[in-house]
Amino acid sequence: MPLDTSTYSLALLRLDGRRWNELRRLTAQISTQVAADGSSYLEMGNTKVMCTVAGPSEAKGAGGVRLGNDRADIRVSISIAGFSGVDRKKSGRNDKRLMEMQHTIASAFAQNLFTKLYPHSTISLSIHVLSQDGSLLAACINACTIALIDAGVPMHDYICACTAGSTSSYSSNDETADPLLDLNTMEEQELPFLTVATMGESDSVSVLIMETKVQVGRLEGMLAVGVDGCKQVRAILDGVARARGTKMLEGSRM
Amino acid sequence: MPREVEPSVNERQFFEKALAENLRLDGRAFDQFRDLELSFGDEFGVADVRLGKTRIHTNISAEVTTPYPDKPFDGLFTITTELSPMTSPHYETSRPSDPEILLSRILEKNLRRSQALDTESLCLIAGHKVWSVRADVHILSHDGNLIDASCISVLAALQHFRKPDTSSEGENVTVYTLEERDPVPLSLLHFPYCVTFSFYPSTVEEGETVILLDSTLLEEQLREGSATIGINKDGELCQIAKLGGISVDAVAFLGCVQVALARVKEISTFVIKRLAEDAKKRDKGDLMAELRAENDR
Repeated sequence: MPLDTSTYSLALLRLDGRRWNELRRLTAQISTQVAADGSSYLEMGNTKVMCTVAGPSEAKGAGGVRLGNDRADIRVSISIAGFSGVDRKKSGRNDKRLMEMQHTIASAFAQNLFTKLYPHSTISLSIHVLSQDGSLLAACINACTIALIDAGVPMHDYICACTAGSTSSYSSNDETADPLLDLNTMEEQELPFLTVATMGESDSVSVLIMETKVQVGRLEGMLAVGVDGCKQVRAILDGVARARGTKMLEGSRM
Repeated sequence: MPREVEPSVNERQFFEKALAENLRLDGRAFDQFRDLELSFGDEFGVADVRLGKTRIHTNISAEVTTPYPDKPFDGLFTITTELSPMTSPHYETSRPSDPEILLSRILEKNLRRSQALDTESLCLIAGHKVWSVRADVHILSHDGNLIDASCISVLAALQHFRKPDTSSEGENVTVYTLEERDPVPLSLLHFPYCVTFSFYPSTVEEGETVILLDSTLLEEQLREGSATIGINKDGELCQIAKLGGISVDAVAFLGCVQVALARVKEISTFVIKRLAEDAKKRDKGDLMAELRAENDR
């Protein structure tokens, strides 16, 4: 479906009525699954993701005692429900895009968590995508952060992610292009965009993935908006975690 | 299957200490590349890239097939990368390993998704016959920075490749042999090369992340994060892949993009120079200009 960018330049409103720097509605629930060590449910607009954490637990599997295992191993598995997208597609086991996402999440959290505290153990994250409407990787990363907080795994800071795009495609070289925050599927198909994840409130970038062509001059604006969006996301996630903490304290007093 | 040999504690400490004194083990500056060598085979579409001790051989082949029903006007372009036990004993042929997936994903995003090769130009008869171009990347020797080297290798081979000339009458396509007609080059729209940065945590408290370019195998094993930037010489970013690892300041990252752009311009001129040298070598007795069927436009 072609995105009519001319309407954007007239009213400066996007297809869903947002301004350029507005996030979609972001809601998160913590500790949704009783059986899991940590769990979360996160909605970024119409993208809905569930994450459960098992561990840190004893490393099992054929690998046995592996040398240099002085830190916890992080395993991520993502399953995308068949009904989550517009067209019902069965993704294979060896989908390279999914494997890349799993690798990205695992290596981002490997640096963020204090894995050295858990030698010879495994932390496994399983992510279930229930509905897709853009910013999939960002939603997965945010859900993992919340679930790991619920599991009580110590971490340096929140890893928060969101997407940022640019209003005009690479071919037109106009300088009036606005950066956009938090794209939905229709915008993602049409415009150049990147997914960025930062550490907490700092400006340091943990994950940055861009798959579309864009002029190099646009990157700075997109990155700045993305990093700013990550800070907004952090505030929301922090609110969720703190609300949960308060609730737990109240429960223990009784 | 043998496991990957990890660097010993001594190697690790030696490397870290050297890094703290702004030194790399092979004496290069932090932003210095190893020597790049590029040679072409006797046949069209064979390129051999050497980056230090890393050596990559790419072979391009083309055949006529039927297109996918949903894209009747697009030819096929596939890149196959295989990390075999020849590269390093711990790679298996049966199961794709993480580095292999990342390598093929990045090449795919950089060259296929960015439309470096114009697939529509590979169409012979819409919906029936298209060229299928296949790039086989063979990693002969692995000493780090496979992504950059294989990207150079594939792009050089694509520029060097000539596909047989064809003519079509109605539904019939005639493919001429190399003797009958001069083969034609592929239609390449732009040349996005990759530059990979390796990140190491600062050795001093609250210091900046150390960024190395063109890391060797040992440096790759010891790094805490990396980012690959795909960009062409006109300043169009084709992909960025910073897949986790330690975090880098956003401003420092923008600096990396500028470094990548400068480097890609160097690589582009280098490849063009080598291609011109190869063309001159093939052009015995300056006959090519007369034999050529195409006009200067």
